[in-house]
Amino acid sequence: MSNKYVARLAVGLYLSLIVLPLWLALDRLIWVAGFDAYSWLNSLDENFISQGVLEFTIIQATLSAILTLAIGIPIAWQLGRYSWPLQSLIRSILTMPFVMPSIVAAMGFMSIIGENGLDIRSDRSTWFTTLIIAHAWFNLALVIRFCEPVLSTLDPSMEEQMRLLPSGKTWWGRFRNLWAPILMPSIAAAACMTFVFSFTSFALVEWITLGENTLESMMADIGSSAGIKGVMVSKNELILGASIIQFSILIFSLGLMSWLQQRRQSLLPLVSENIVKTQNKKGWIIVLPAIVFAVLPLLAVLISSFRIREVDAGGSRQYWSTEAWNYAFTATNSLPSAWDALQNSIGYAIITLFIALPLGWMLALTIFDLEKRKPRLARILDISTMLPFAVSSVMIGLGVMLGMIKINPQFFYSLWFTPILAHVMITTPFVVRIMLPAIRSLDPSFDECAQILGMSKTKRFFLITIPMLKGSLIISSIFILAMSMGEFGASWVVTRNSDWTTLPVIIDSIRAVPYNNPMTVPAANAVSSVLMIIALLLFISTEKFRPKRDGGMF
Amino acid sequence: MFKCENLAKSYDNILFENFNLVLEPGEIVAITGPSGCGKTTLLRCICGLENLDMGKIVLEKKDITAIPAEERGIGLIFQKPVLYPHLNVEKNLKLASKRGDISKALSEVNLTGFEKRNVSNLSGGEGQRVALARALLAEPSVLLLDEPFSSLDEDLSLRLVSDVRKLLKARNCPAILVTHNKTIAGKFADKILTLN
Repeated sequence: MSNKYVARLAVGLYLSLIVLPLWLALDRLIWVAGFDAYSWLNSLDENFISQGVLEFTIIQATLSAILTLAIGIPIAWQLGRYSWPLQSLIRSILTMPFVMPSIVAAMGFMSIIGENGLDIRSDRSTWFTTLIIAHAWFNLALVIRFCEPVLSTLDPSMEEQMRLLPSGKTWWGRFRNLWAPILMPSIAAAACMTFVFSFTSFALVEWITLGENTLESMMADIGSSAGIKGVMVSKNELILGASIIQFSILIFSLGLMSWLQQRRQSLLPLVSENIVKTQNKKGWIIVLPAIVFAVLPLLAVLISSFRIREVDAGGSRQYWSTEAWNYAFTATNSLPSAWDALQNSIGYAIITLFIALPLGWMLALTIFDLEKRKPRLARILDISTMLPFAVSSVMIGLGVMLGMIKINPQFFYSLWFTPILAHVMITTPFVVRIMLPAIRSLDPSFDECAQILGMSKTKRFFLITIPMLKGSLIISSIFILAMSMGEFGASWVVTRNSDWTTLPVIIDSIRAVPYNNPMTVPAANAVSSVLMIIALLLFISTEKFRPKRDGGMF
Repeated sequence: MFKCENLAKSYDNILFENFNLVLEPGEIVAITGPSGCGKTTLLRCICGLENLDMGKIVLEKKDITAIPAEERGIGLIFQKPVLYPHLNVEKNLKLASKRGDISKALSEVNLTGFEKRNVSNLSGGEGQRVALARALLAEPSVLLLDEPFSSLDEDLSLRLVSDVRKLLKARNCPAILVTHNKTIAGKFADKILTLN
């Protein structure tokens, strides 16, 4: 297929699968609420549902970013500056939380502070602190992935030279004149991403807090009753107001992040690949607690799945059993079985892979092709493909719900694959972001040389292009599978049909069963353990193909 | 016989125009000129990787100007050896010919026993020899060499110049070398042209 047809197909699919549902959802909300941006924004202050939500969202996201940096920078320093036994394993353990589905993280922290754990959640200060710690746990990998490569590959002669200069005689002088300017873009980029992820956090907020809302969780809660003409108009205004604020903050943060990344990339060529590092035994004081911190919530999920707590008039008793696993994997009158959810999750993930991978790849190829001929158009397409990054998963769920399902509920509810659209919308931009640098870094002489050797376009595609992009294609595929399997926000909004229940949604549903059922907590943790193991296996497979100096979040 | 007639190419400025060349079988020509004068572009146009603005390329009385690069049967050795890192030496060579004698091709370039080597572990000179073996294995009608000796040290490049020349002469394969190094050009070619 010629480049022109690939470009048309890619852009056409992107517009119809990703942009159109969001556009239709926006159109529907405006149709109900009327076109008055001032009134949408004003409703956030006036409506009791949303009062204090924006402040809470910003405060928790800011504190989360600060705590993540405070924990992450010393760890990145230790990993980057010194040599450690089993270093790649330690790095994998510490970066693993980022790939865990947010609902698994929520269940992990709930197992620690909830009724079956320390039972300290009822105190506001406890759950607020836990939320911040949980966000730090989740985003720790960002600080490590952004900062460690800079620290570990900086040419040692730079520090040696600095030591010999008057301004680098003291540790503070070296930090101020060497490390800070070199590390600052990476730290700021990590802070920016942590802020974005905490700002749009849904599962952790929904489960750890006691009724408190962020913009994201508020939109999820009221989304189902929006989009109906004449019914609860104020909720439509709230969603529009919250969307404008969330979109603006995310666009600003992502723009800042992109600028910081460019500065970061320009500093990376200072590196040297062959650095001899020393061991630092004192560093274990930082690294060991960090490993425990990374592993603890996950262990708590697994252990809690076997621990059953029965409460009756005579008090409570606890015992160890696999009953909760049986309970989770057997359908009840109100809930489908975890097997059904697992099958749906796998089915959705595989179909998402078959749509998002070629679509993302074609978009990346189109951007790359345009960069040579029409750089401005390439830039526009490049930014447009990042649109879903600036639209949170709940907003994407609302896009599918309001932009498609509500247009013809009977039709869309009858289709098993309707939720896949949300998964494609969420994963495609990640594929573009992974494939585009890989395509850019592919030396054109590889293709030219194959051409000279007489290979046809098809043969070159299969024998040269695919093998040379194999690593990025595998990382993209695993990423799609992992994201789709763990996707919660959009699925929570879209899934109004038990035939569509996925693993994250059933975890949420089981955990929502009243606590007088002793299986509620362990059964939710049993399904979380399955999801956790799947995420872990996918994560381990990705690590094998990740470039050494990757440094990004993927 | 291989003929270039009135070749012309320009981007913002004229790179070359009215370029004419006739190569007899086994004849080796070197084209020299300063950096940026269009030597590499000339080779890329001849092998079909870039389009000419004007002119005609004729191979064995057949006009090949409009034929795509993969069907022209012209070989090109790049400045830095282009070897596919996902394939070992043998598989890289097999890209040129499935049925060709890989061992013989490698022994001709003094790399006997290199079949299973990983290409990323080869030195610059070894890599260039593998690229040469692969180009010759494809049995090109004309071989183009784009400064393939420039990234090697002097001793090695002089040795390789002599080896490649012998191989081309033994096969009666016409070749065009572009280089800015007049010593190399003198040792390698039968005839030297200068591109200004």
